[in-house]
Amino acid sequence: MKVELQNLTKIFPSRNKKSGEEVIAVNNFTFTIPDGKLIGLLGPSGCGKSTTLYMISGLQKPSGGKIFFGDDDVTELAAENRGVGLVFQNYALYPHMTVKQNILFPLQNLKGADKLSKDEMLDRAYNAAKLVQIDELMDRKPSELSGGQQQRVAIARALVKMPKVLLLDEPLSNLDARLRLQTREEIRRIQKETGITTIFVTHDQEEAMSISDMIVVMKLGVVQQIGKPQEVYDDPTNLFVAKFLGTPPINVFEGEVKGEKLYIGDAAVLDVAGVDDQPVTVGIRPEGFVLDPDGPLTCNLNSVEVMGRDVSVVSTHAASVNPTVRSIIDADNQVATGATVRYSLKPHKVFLFSKADESRIYFGVKSDG
Amino acid sequence: MVESKHKWKAWLYLAPAIILLIVFTVWPIINTVRMAFLEGYNQTAVVGGATYSFGIGNFTKVLEYKGFLTCLGNTMLLCVLTVPLSTILALLIAVCLNAIKPLQRLLQTIFFLPYVTNSIAIGMVFAAMFNMVGTAFGGENELIITSGIINNIIEFFGGVPINWINSGSSYAANMVVMVVYIVWNALPFKILILLGGLQSINKQYYDAAKVDGTPGWRVFSRITVPLLSPMLAYVVITGFIGGFKEYSSIVGIFGEDMGPAGEPGKLNTMVGFIYDSLVTQQGRASAAALILFGIIFVVTMLNMYVSKKKTHY
Amino acid sequence: MSELQNKTMQEKDLKKVSAHQKVGKIVVKVLLYTFLIVMALIVIFPFYFMLISSVKTLPEYQRSVPTLWPEFIRLRNYIDAFNTGNLGQLFVNTMIVGIVSTILSLVITVLSAFAFARLEFKGKNALFAALLGTMMIPGELFTITNYATVNSLGWMNTYTVLIVPFLVSVFYIYLLRQNFMQIPNELYLAAKVDGTSDIKYLWKVMIPLALPTLISITILKMMGAWNSYVWPRLVANEEEYQLITNGLRNAFTDAEGNANIPVQMAAVAIVSFPLFLVFIFLRKYIMKGVSRSGIKG
Repeated sequence: MKVELQNLTKIFPSRNKKSGEEVIAVNNFTFTIPDGKLIGLLGPSGCGKSTTLYMISGLQKPSGGKIFFGDDDVTELAAENRGVGLVFQNYALYPHMTVKQNILFPLQNLKGADKLSKDEMLDRAYNAAKLVQIDELMDRKPSELSGGQQQRVAIARALVKMPKVLLLDEPLSNLDARLRLQTREEIRRIQKETGITTIFVTHDQEEAMSISDMIVVMKLGVVQQIGKPQEVYDDPTNLFVAKFLGTPPINVFEGEVKGEKLYIGDAAVLDVAGVDDQPVTVGIRPEGFVLDPDGPLTCNLNSVEVMGRDVSVVSTHAASVNPTVRSIIDADNQVATGATVRYSLKPHKVFLFSKADESRIYFGVKSDG
Repeated sequence: MVESKHKWKAWLYLAPAIILLIVFTVWPIINTVRMAFLEGYNQTAVVGGATYSFGIGNFTKVLEYKGFLTCLGNTMLLCVLTVPLSTILALLIAVCLNAIKPLQRLLQTIFFLPYVTNSIAIGMVFAAMFNMVGTAFGGENELIITSGIINNIIEFFGGVPINWINSGSSYAANMVVMVVYIVWNALPFKILILLGGLQSINKQYYDAAKVDGTPGWRVFSRITVPLLSPMLAYVVITGFIGGFKEYSSIVGIFGEDMGPAGEPGKLNTMVGFIYDSLVTQQGRASAAALILFGIIFVVTMLNMYVSKKKTHY
Repeated sequence: MSELQNKTMQEKDLKKVSAHQKVGKIVVKVLLYTFLIVMALIVIFPFYFMLISSVKTLPEYQRSVPTLWPEFIRLRNYIDAFNTGNLGQLFVNTMIVGIVSTILSLVITVLSAFAFARLEFKGKNALFAALLGTMMIPGELFTITNYATVNSLGWMNTYTVLIVPFLVSVFYIYLLRQNFMQIPNELYLAAKVDGTSDIKYLWKVMIPLALPTLISITILKMMGAWNSYVWPRLVANEEEYQLITNGLRNAFTDAEGNANIPVQMAAVAIVSFPLFLVFIFLRKYIMKGVSRSGIKG
């Protein structure tokens, strides 16, 4: 099922009546989610991603705009009539029911023509349980399950009624690191197997990047960028997106463009064709540094962290916005242990942003080879 | 925890409480058991030199005594009627209160109001409301000047006035008045506890149910009630304990005679029986008190057992 | 063509469903408010009845078609009630008993709770468990012996008999101990290091922190004195020491039910008035105390 959001807006009245300031949680969000894809809504807390999810589910009413499922306008439709499956951040499994009763619960609500016989219900419950591999745990209570198992039960409960759209609110935030890795692959697998259009919300960019077909980056209710994870990573539209995606995070410098050359400090580090003279903010991905004894960018070396495949070089630079500059170098390279380290830069890993509005300034790369 | 250098200090702080508890709590427990098992014990006669032999006569006599059985029957009936009625009503009100936003605080305050009242004083108000004023009911040439506001309301809707509490009134009518008053009195506490319970239920359970298209009554029976069951159990247990100790509401309405005019003791309760025997028949009173304790204990255990079976999470 | 038709059909369906939703929501809201307001009216009706009856003249009260609002407001009923019931004396008695027993009870409760929460001594846990155990026993069981005890102590018809037997409440000790336990022990240790005495620490640190609980206890204890009926009736029958509830029940009751009900209602209103005041100003503390205790008075 294709999901279409048209100018979706949510305004919360201010809690304090006197100050009278409204909160715009989601501002004018337009996007069409193609059928059968896995979409990650990504952003820091308070960016409106959960509100968007709840509006799609029908639990919250939009202040403006429309929501379409396929060709049907569902904006005015209550949650129970939308046919969505929703997995809550803390799962919201009914504590007094067994796993089986939890999964059966949505089926027992079906009325009229959709009503199922007891056997059909059990059949479907067991199929859903098998899909998420918890069919062994059907007679347990939620309190007797681990976090990961509870998560699977919650997904099974959402899937059992064969929803048109599956919504997941921070599905991995309550799991430990190892389980998180495992579960996110699991979510990917389940989504592929069922082919249900799935939207999930997360503040963890790695999570979103690793499994989504497309990601939507949001900030303060405004969509910043939509695209395939790699595209967004390689080509961020503004400083916020560049900073939000990637671990280790992007290195940010104060720089200046003079005569189509980018200066960081006093050194001209890169040719930037087509950019007017102006002060800029420079973002350099950790993998954008190349060790080069004659390189233009000189940093004070702090430490070298060997991480097996890669080496992470931690250094400082006077123009750096962050306390340290971190670069990732292939482990084959020999890092000289001296007081300084010198780099040249990979042009496609360097992004320039306007000082005024943090928007991206594109520059031409000379294909000198 | 601190190892105090002066351990006597702790005992010094506790001394007033312990002394008072020994005199007015521990000794009474021992003494009540002792008196209960001394045949026909009477404190006043002891001072005069009487002695009593050990036996279970007090218990058998209490059980044979017709007055006691009336009291036991009245108490049981009141419990069985008022506890479920007040619990269900309180649950309904709490659920409705929890579902609204405007006026919620005002209504909540109104529903709590009966808690802060004097049960004797308001009992007198109820008595006045159900009262009949005039010549004796049912006699010839009777002249009812007013039949009390409740009967006025019944007449307004075309009904026949009922003799609720006056001389010659029926047991059923008396019971109705008692039940109405006790339920009215019991509601605020139950609503307070249940509403507190409802507000502590995670809202996401309801969101989850909503997304699954669960109809209201099913949300109520399959989610709200089970998740509220610890509070329900608490309210029922305290309700039964209070019900078995019912006394002053009846005094409020019927006076210390514990019955309509001309029929003293008709509506007496277990506690009333104990108080009646307390001055001159301590053996009998003690036996009745132990029976009351036994009943409360058994009912509480039974309630806890049932609620444990029903609320396993 | 048929596809298009199908689509418009579906659209109509969805519109119907959302219209249905809206109507359903409104109906539910109306039912909710109707039920709650009717119940609320039933709950406050006795108070309304008490107030209007208390200012009616006897003939107006006795009319077969009652008036919803008194035609003539007769405040004399209150004066009559005050004088017939000797309510002034009863009020003073009740205040003396209430205030003295509340103060003593607070002191005893604070000291005991402090000992149980902060001091270490042999048999502490056993003693505390034993105290909690006594909470299961109905108070009526104690009354039989206590009656004999105060009688042999010669306390009948004194203020002492109304105050002393109920000074210790295991429940209040328990409540306050739990409150004290939440205060980090480090505070106590720091005070010890600084050479602060136990009493000073209690007064300066623990009592301010436990103030809401202490206020709840105070209100419940005062209300207890105001509403107590059974024990005073047994041990203080002389008018000099009677409490307000007893006086109320005795002075305004007539076996035939033919009492002057407006005057009686005025007396009831006088007795209820302080409670309403407490309710209006201290509702928060009462509700807090009650939801933790479940014990009336």
